Amino acid sequence: MASELLTISGLSAGTEDKPILHDIDLSVGAGETHVLMGPNGAGKSTLGHVIMGDPVYKVSSGTVTFDGQDVTDLAPDRRSLAGIFLSYQAPVEVPGVPLYSFLRTICQMRPELKTTARKFRQRVGQIMAELDMDESFLTRELNVGFSGGEKKKVEMLQLLLLRPKLAILDETDSGLDVDALSIVSKGIEAYRRDCDGALLMITHNTRILERLNVDRTHVMVRGHLVAEGPASMIDDIDRNGFGAYEDGLAASQGEKVEA
Amino acid sequence: MADEKDRTNARPEVDERGRSKVQDVDRSLYDFVKSEEGYERYADGLTPDIVRSISAKKDEPDWMLKMRLEALERFHDIDMAPNWGPDTSGLNMDDISTYVSPKTKQARDWNDVPADIKDTFERLGIPQAERDSLAGVGAQYDSEIVYHNMREEVAKQGVVYTTIEDAIHDPQWEPVVRKYFGTLIPMTDHKFAALHYAVWSGGSFVYVPEGVSLDYPLQSYFRLNASGAGQFEHTLIVVEPGANLHFIEGCSAPKYYEANLHAGAVELFVGDGARLRYSTIENWSKNMYNLNTKRARVGADATMEWVSGSFGSHVSYLYPTTILQGDRSVCEYTGITFSGANQDLDTGCKVILNGRDTRASMSAKSISKDGGVNTFRSSVVVGRHADNARCTVSCQSLMLDDISRSDTIPAMDVRNRTASVGHEATIGRISDDTILYLMSRGCSEEEARTMVVNGFANPVSKELPLEYAVEMNNLIKLEMEGAIG
Amino acid sequence: MASTSTCLEGTTKAMTLAHVNVPPAQTWNYLKIDQIALSVPVPTSAGTVPTRLPRLFSRIGAGVGTEAVSWVEATTGDSRYVEVPRGTVREEPIVLSCDADAGEVRDSGVMVRGGATATIVLVSHGSGDAEGDAPLSPTPAATSANLVRVYAEKGATVHLVEVVAMGDERQHLEGIGLVAEDGARVDARQYLLGGGRVAVGFEADLAGDAATLDLDSRYIVRHHEVLDVNHAVLQRGERTRCDIQTSGILADAGQKTMRETIDLRHGGHGSKGNERETVLVTGDDIVNRTLPVILCDEDDVAGNHGASIGSVSSEQMTYLADRGLSDAEAEALFARALFDDAVIHAPEQQSLSAALDRAANVVGDDMAHDLASGLGIEPASADDPKEE
Repeated sequence: MASELLTISGLSAGTEDKPILHDIDLSVGAGETHVLMGPNGAGKSTLGHVIMGDPVYKVSSGTVTFDGQDVTDLAPDRRSLAGIFLSYQAPVEVPGVPLYSFLRTICQMRPELKTTARKFRQRVGQIMAELDMDESFLTRELNVGFSGGEKKKVEMLQLLLLRPKLAILDETDSGLDVDALSIVSKGIEAYRRDCDGALLMITHNTRILERLNVDRTHVMVRGHLVAEGPASMIDDIDRNGFGAYEDGLAASQGEKVEA
Repeated sequence: MADEKDRTNARPEVDERGRSKVQDVDRSLYDFVKSEEGYERYADGLTPDIVRSISAKKDEPDWMLKMRLEALERFHDIDMAPNWGPDTSGLNMDDISTYVSPKTKQARDWNDVPADIKDTFERLGIPQAERDSLAGVGAQYDSEIVYHNMREEVAKQGVVYTTIEDAIHDPQWEPVVRKYFGTLIPMTDHKFAALHYAVWSGGSFVYVPEGVSLDYPLQSYFRLNASGAGQFEHTLIVVEPGANLHFIEGCSAPKYYEANLHAGAVELFVGDGARLRYSTIENWSKNMYNLNTKRARVGADATMEWVSGSFGSHVSYLYPTTILQGDRSVCEYTGITFSGANQDLDTGCKVILNGRDTRASMSAKSISKDGGVNTFRSSVVVGRHADNARCTVSCQSLMLDDISRSDTIPAMDVRNRTASVGHEATIGRISDDTILYLMSRGCSEEEARTMVVNGFANPVSKELPLEYAVEMNNLIKLEMEGAIG
Repeated sequence: MASTSTCLEGTTKAMTLAHVNVPPAQTWNYLKIDQIALSVPVPTSAGTVPTRLPRLFSRIGAGVGTEAVSWVEATTGDSRYVEVPRGTVREEPIVLSCDADAGEVRDSGVMVRGGATATIVLVSHGSGDAEGDAPLSPTPAATSANLVRVYAEKGATVHLVEVVAMGDERQHLEGIGLVAEDGARVDARQYLLGGGRVAVGFEADLAGDAATLDLDSRYIVRHHEVLDVNHAVLQRGERTRCDIQTSGILADAGQKTMRETIDLRHGGHGSKGNERETVLVTGDDIVNRTLPVILCDEDDVAGNHGASIGSVSSEQMTYLADRGLSDAEAEALFARALFDDAVIHAPEQQSLSAALDRAANVVGDDMAHDLASGLGIEPASADDPKEE
């Protein structure tokens, strides 16, 4: 087994007024590909954001360890510098900031990526070509007025530029969009090939996983991780849905299951 | 009379663009005049002698007379701003009597109120409201309060609800009045604040002791019956720490062709952790110059809420002001202004955020029709020390025809890095799609428009106690339909 | 009336322009938001008869007010007049520059004839910040002005780029007046990048049917700089459209007043006016004044305004944090981005140099030229012949 890159143990978290995640244990080894599945509203995206350190959520118990360091109380920017990357399903628009200025700034602050403007420009050019992105995007404002597919490309461009040790791709809602699907697939392919990083794929749709070599699958229902298994679990969920997992959780909590 | 003619039209008039014409409010509910015979009426105009007479009549302490005389000088010194605001040139102080009083003593029982005045307030529904839902009522007729009463259980809790005149003659309350009176609204504030302090008469003094919470509102009703007269009541409310009060004021007057003037002042002191809601339904007649000044100072963890419905007046300058002095204090303002023919209403609010973690949220709506002019004017000032202050201003204006006018003039001055201030304003008309949709479901155009306007006003009316919400909705309905006798 | 006095420097007589940048609708005077006063040199007769603009231009307001316009007209030497012939596309930008260090006062008029297309560039450029502490208020002698009035005839297209870039010892008055006839389209980008005391007026009269204006105004105000802006758009034609976006950064003890007026006039059926303002405040001693006004005299119109003043939205901050930026780094990114954006949109050498020059002053040499060298848009230098 590969050395653990991300270890979540006994993690409970939620917003100020509402607990969402309950006693989560999850480990991802370096270079592994994991899939987190579950029905809508199960808390999958929340877990992604909690791993990233989103201040909207408060951790009530448990720890998140990354690359040997307890990051539970670390601000998101420190986690990013440590090598965690979270791709948004709906990237935020930042008016007034040209894409070039943004990319340049986030790369220059990482010693391993620091380089001259010209070399940086070359690298960006290569990745954009790979993602089939027009270079005129560099002078447009970050995500402002971009289509869903264009925003996705910008997320993948950042993923490939930053070369994180762990990429969390939150694709909860994009499963059915063919355009987005192919962009993300292309990005993942390049990331696995060039960066050798670990991947945590968050989705409730299995089509996006078809071309992935999945190591482990996790199932989340109502804020609980209820199952973990090999890649073959995906096919099972594809055929039978999450019903069995939901019933199982209800039964284990001693609730009545409606027929 | 124009009103009379309009009312005979069963069908709404339709203008050249095919919109039904929204008719003027039927004011017969408010437009009755009682004789002034036997009243004490001071000469029109403003002289030191008149000011001395008012003061002498009230047998005031010296400090009050001095204040009045100083204010009179200020009034002559200060000019109206030349560069903004509705025209007040139709208002000539030489034609306004500053003091008109019915020859009656203040009563504690409606039966003791003179018949014609009692009839007035009965037609306005005041005694009924008192029986049903109020903790206390004050009623002012022209320059003097004619009725004041409060439920006994409220009095037992130490709540004081009386006139300033009476409080000033009570050794227990004179120091309190003296401590607060004129401190929040200085006489130099603007021209008509100065006038107010020179000739003020009537109004209320309310004192709610620490920790006392009133379950029912107190209400003051102001009626200006005399033609060519002014009403200058002063309302002073002290809500001690942890106390809770809802105060309601209603105003109306019959229609005259001479200008009437209302220049009251409302000073509100909200103690730490206290809560005060101040609701106003103003329906002055459309010859009224309403230059009223209202201001609240709010202590730590306290809340000030304004609910304001402005329907009447020829000209209004009205901007309730809140000073959020204490940390974590809160201000909410909800207002609607309805401006029709011959009305130029400049209304809005001001908030000054001085304390840390203070919050203010202001929501204003306006409706303009028949050539009416609405101006929403506001100011948000965030002081240097107001760390983490939050303020939002939202202003929506509805234009019901193309001869009316609606302006939005919100100013913001922010001096703190951590403060956040947001502002949203929209101006537009009822969309044709909305009207078409409602008509396709069987509403007449008039019904559809009334429905939309009522929905527009709903966020304000739902903040009012039921009876007042009903009154407000009726006013809107009357404005929109015109035809109910 | 303007008063005159001898200013401290001895030879320059100064007068006060008391009512600069007065918006169409004003409010409580104690807020001191309705105007700015500028102390400027008394115009001296040059002893020659300078060329004047065609009479048509004197009727075009420029937002700064008649007092300021008269002062510019009395002070300037020869005015500049450019005409773009009917139906033509003028490729070469019309550059209307103002050398702030030389205290230039310029008055220009541009006539864009029916169906023509032109790019107009205003560059008001001066040297960098003073060494040490800057004066709290620049002297009248350090005043420059750039007044430009544009008449866009039927169907004309005007691209306008404006760069104001000077140090904190300078005082500058800038006015843009604009008339748009039927179907004329104007897009304008303002980059207000520095100056000790800067007053910028912008007045557009969308007189013709379907005339449109897109105005994107960006600024940074820092140290003890004062920036005073008056945007006023009159929508008179039918189906006119106006979109104003302003965004800026207020740092240190900077003072900014931003007035935005959309005036929807009677008869302008189907017109729409939008204004949106965002302000990022990073300074502890700032003064941030905003007066966003909508005047409406017509029901068949839509007017909208939105403003958010304070910090960057929490969603944006979280997104940037997730990419590794602390709050301070995110704020630095916004400052850098403002200059980068000016560099990206500079249509020619003078505006590019002015933006880069000012960027070097504010965000440092490396950062200033980073985008330009990355994207290959460095300005041509004397020994590096112009590429065409």
